[in-house]
Amino acid sequence: MKRALLGLTMWMMCCLSACPPPAFCQEEYQFNLSEIEKEIEKKPYSIGGFVEFRPVLFGLDRSGASYQMKFRDEDRGATEKQYNFGLRLEGSFEKGPAGAYLRTDSSLRHGYQGWSDDITLSEGYLSLKPNPSFILSVGKKAVQWGKGYAFNPVAFVSRPKDTENPTEALEGYYMITADLIKSFRGPLQTLAFTPVLLPVTRTINQDFGEQDGLNLAAKLYLLLWDTDVDLVLFTGDSRTTRYGLDFAKNLKTNFEIHGEMARITDFDKKGIDTDGSLSTHKSDVMLALLGIRYLTANEVTFIIEYYHNGGGIGENDARNFFRFVDLAYDVYTSTGDASRLAEASQLYNKALAESKPMRDYLYCRASWKEPFDILYFTPSVTSIVNLADWSLSFSPEFVYSPKTNLEFKLLGAFLMGGEHTEYGEKRYDYKIELRIRHYF
Amino acid sequence: MTRSLFMVLFCLCLAAPAYPESGDAILKKVDRNLTPEAFEMYRKLINIEPDGTKKEFIMYSVKKGRDRIASVFLSPASEKGRATLRVGENMWLYIPNVGRPIRITSLQSVTGGIFNNADIMRLDYSAEYNCEKMERAQNQLLLHLKAKTRSVAYDRVRMWVDPKKLLPTKIECFASSGMLIKTLYFKKIRDFGGGLLRPAVIETDSPLHKGYRSVMIFAGVKKRDLPDEVFTLDFLPRVKSLR
Repeated sequence: MKRALLGLTMWMMCCLSACPPPAFCQEEYQFNLSEIEKEIEKKPYSIGGFVEFRPVLFGLDRSGASYQMKFRDEDRGATEKQYNFGLRLEGSFEKGPAGAYLRTDSSLRHGYQGWSDDITLSEGYLSLKPNPSFILSVGKKAVQWGKGYAFNPVAFVSRPKDTENPTEALEGYYMITADLIKSFRGPLQTLAFTPVLLPVTRTINQDFGEQDGLNLAAKLYLLLWDTDVDLVLFTGDSRTTRYGLDFAKNLKTNFEIHGEMARITDFDKKGIDTDGSLSTHKSDVMLALLGIRYLTANEVTFIIEYYHNGGGIGENDARNFFRFVDLAYDVYTSTGDASRLAEASQLYNKALAESKPMRDYLYCRASWKEPFDILYFTPSVTSIVNLADWSLSFSPEFVYSPKTNLEFKLLGAFLMGGEHTEYGEKRYDYKIELRIRHYF
Repeated sequence: MTRSLFMVLFCLCLAAPAYPESGDAILKKVDRNLTPEAFEMYRKLINIEPDGTKKEFIMYSVKKGRDRIASVFLSPASEKGRATLRVGENMWLYIPNVGRPIRITSLQSVTGGIFNNADIMRLDYSAEYNCEKMERAQNQLLLHLKAKTRSVAYDRVRMWVDPKKLLPTKIECFASSGMLIKTLYFKKIRDFGGGLLRPAVIETDSPLHKGYRSVMIFAGVKKRDLPDEVFTLDFLPRVKSLR
């Protein structure tokens, strides 16, 4: 598998570098309508995907709690390199009202632990669409609910987004889902109902929640007075009951507002004492998001979102955790006893392993489409601020697509924060990543 | 006496406009001559850079009524499946990776290059513009159009229309500041069947992107009346299945 994936990636890269240069002339375009008609001819199947190479350089923070838990007193130097190769394969088949879709993601990584590889069936489902008002799907599917760009409190049946890459495809869950759609004339233009049946057994959806359970979720969508509104509900054996709503509306032609609110009942809310012990108590918690998307006259798009995670740990709990890691590390360096560091690591996995584990965050992104008349080039900057401890990440990004189906993305991430803050205690201070992706 | 009356009537006929219809009525006819009210079509978009490098996109679109249009990219692979839906001033973008449609501002671009939403998600001209003035210019009709609302990408448009075929030959698009944003040239009139005879090619150049040109080639334009449910958020990821 490793060799095949590495070989395919290298072959694709060689093909790219061997492509002939463009013709440097202002030639008149030529086209043949019959050729275009051949191009648009519908085939019952389609195959596609991408191959990517993604080297990453981490600038390590040896005083960070995450570094100390992971590497203890190993001197790993100032930087760490990682080489990632990826392959996505997508295929679909359609015959009449029936269809099938498949997406696999394969990765090969070389990091400080050597080589590792993974193949995931990200999506694979059958669908039936007897008419545009009714669509039934059965299989593994990524269902995304919510209006937020970086966070989705109402995404009850999907995996959490990577806030550093919120537009990347996620792995789905096995489910049976349907869409029932009805259109109207008047203030209510669309009404759509989406029920989801999601089982959890020993062999499927194990990581969703408690096993041997059946879960039911539903979404009611309305396009009402030019506003998107969703009412969502989840109940079942694997997670506690939760409900919520979201909305999105264009207030002006260049200004959009969106929001989400979710209430999770009987949530296991976590607390961490000064001695590093974890306590949980059940309570109902509220998650909320409010965001805007604003486009300026020179095509700069701002996305700003405030996210409140009512189930996240508080600032004092986080501080207690980081102090406990300091203490555990001191014990380790003075006595060689690593048991407390192991405890800290377990505690981290239970309380802080989520992408955004604390209570309040601000997400800001500005992207400028094709500045200075450079076509297919989009620079952007993103910052995520933890509003409790004021630590933050700052990420400049450059995306350029010089040729059809070829995309370069250069991404930097710089983490800033004092002692005992979320971003100040991460494993690295900065990260520089280049992603070369070729679609086929 | 009879001769005098005849002369007066003759002079009145000469003074009367050749097109008794209003500019708005002409504009509506131009719209219907370009596309049926409910239709499907394919478009190949070609961006040509000053060094001759080209980028090509193929889109499939369906439209219904005055304000509903959905489009999906069929190629290249990097854009495949990216779909947009417009219902009046509401606009959504579906990116397959993201897995759900997101509401975008109606002026947002959905892909790179010279094309913008106004080109890709254009509604009828008569739905978006009023004709303020119509005049004769070089054996053609020149319509001076003004956007009905501020949400339209081009504030003012000058449209040259072939008076016999009632099809546009050239369109100049202006910003509210009066700056020329782009010029569209309609070429190669072709019979698409079903009585639809229209230009198969629109060439575009823009003083904002000097040396760059874009070409839009139309294929498979035909009348198709789809249910309203096709033009909804939940159906957007499946638009390509309508083909």
